[in-house]
Amino acid sequence: MSAPPGFTQTRLIDPFEIHVGPVFERGEKGAKVLGFRVDKRHVNMRGIVHGGMLMTFADAAMGQAAWDACDHADVVTLNMQSQFLAPAREGDWIEVAPVLTRRTKSLIFLRGDFTVNGVPIFSVSSVWKILGVD
Amino acid sequence: MSDATSTLPPGAENISRGGFNLHAGPIYRLPDDGAVRCFALPVLDKHLNGGGNVHGGLLMTFADISMSQTARAVTAAPGCNTVSMTCDFVGPGRAGETLECRVRITRQTRTLVFLSADITAGGRAVAVATGLWKIV
Repeated sequence: MSAPPGFTQTRLIDPFEIHVGPVFERGEKGAKVLGFRVDKRHVNMRGIVHGGMLMTFADAAMGQAAWDACDHADVVTLNMQSQFLAPAREGDWIEVAPVLTRRTKSLIFLRGDFTVNGVPIFSVSSVWKILGVD
Repeated sequence: MSDATSTLPPGAENISRGGFNLHAGPIYRLPDDGAVRCFALPVLDKHLNGGGNVHGGLLMTFADISMSQTARAVTAAPGCNTVSMTCDFVGPGRAGETLECRVRITRQTRTLVFLSADITAGGRAVAVATGLWKIV
């Protein structure tokens, strides 16, 4: 199943993201919305999207935002806090607009609320390290 | 890469039966170490990021599956749902290594389970996670 109108496929580099993708995006650098369509690979035995998939998509989406926030320097995730608010199911479109909370010389703080049809289902805050900067 | 399962210790049981658990895995349950429940994940090429290290999403998935399995086992409840999880990414893991996850139960109430997980590779710290599960 495809993305809603206006979204284009994100160019993924990480093998694990390619393995669980595709991921789609719309909007300009620094103000992007990223999303994916839940399929049978992403759910648990009860047909609910797996927490691991939500956290993997969050890492991918926040990673794109972190990368945009430091002019495409190398970044790594230091910490991610995840809250599972409500279930999502196969066929659902899940999207997030990552929010840059703060950027220091070497750290990037990002958060995001993930929604299905406008209803929050998952929320994260994360800390990223810009490599090569003390 | 050689057969990754050959690095697993005796008694490892594949617990990835379908869905994302299998797509992201396979993940193995190891024999308990006292009160600590142990799990293993042989790192394959599909688990990596562009830098050749284990992807953070895979580490959080491994922690979530290990702690969820533990929550269900210790409560004997029909289900336990992840409410929240925090993960620190401490060091890299690489293809060909076997990640090990050691899960401890911090506290169990009538409706909640508090758990922690340490993920290592060859004795090196890779990730530390804590989480909260709701008994349903």
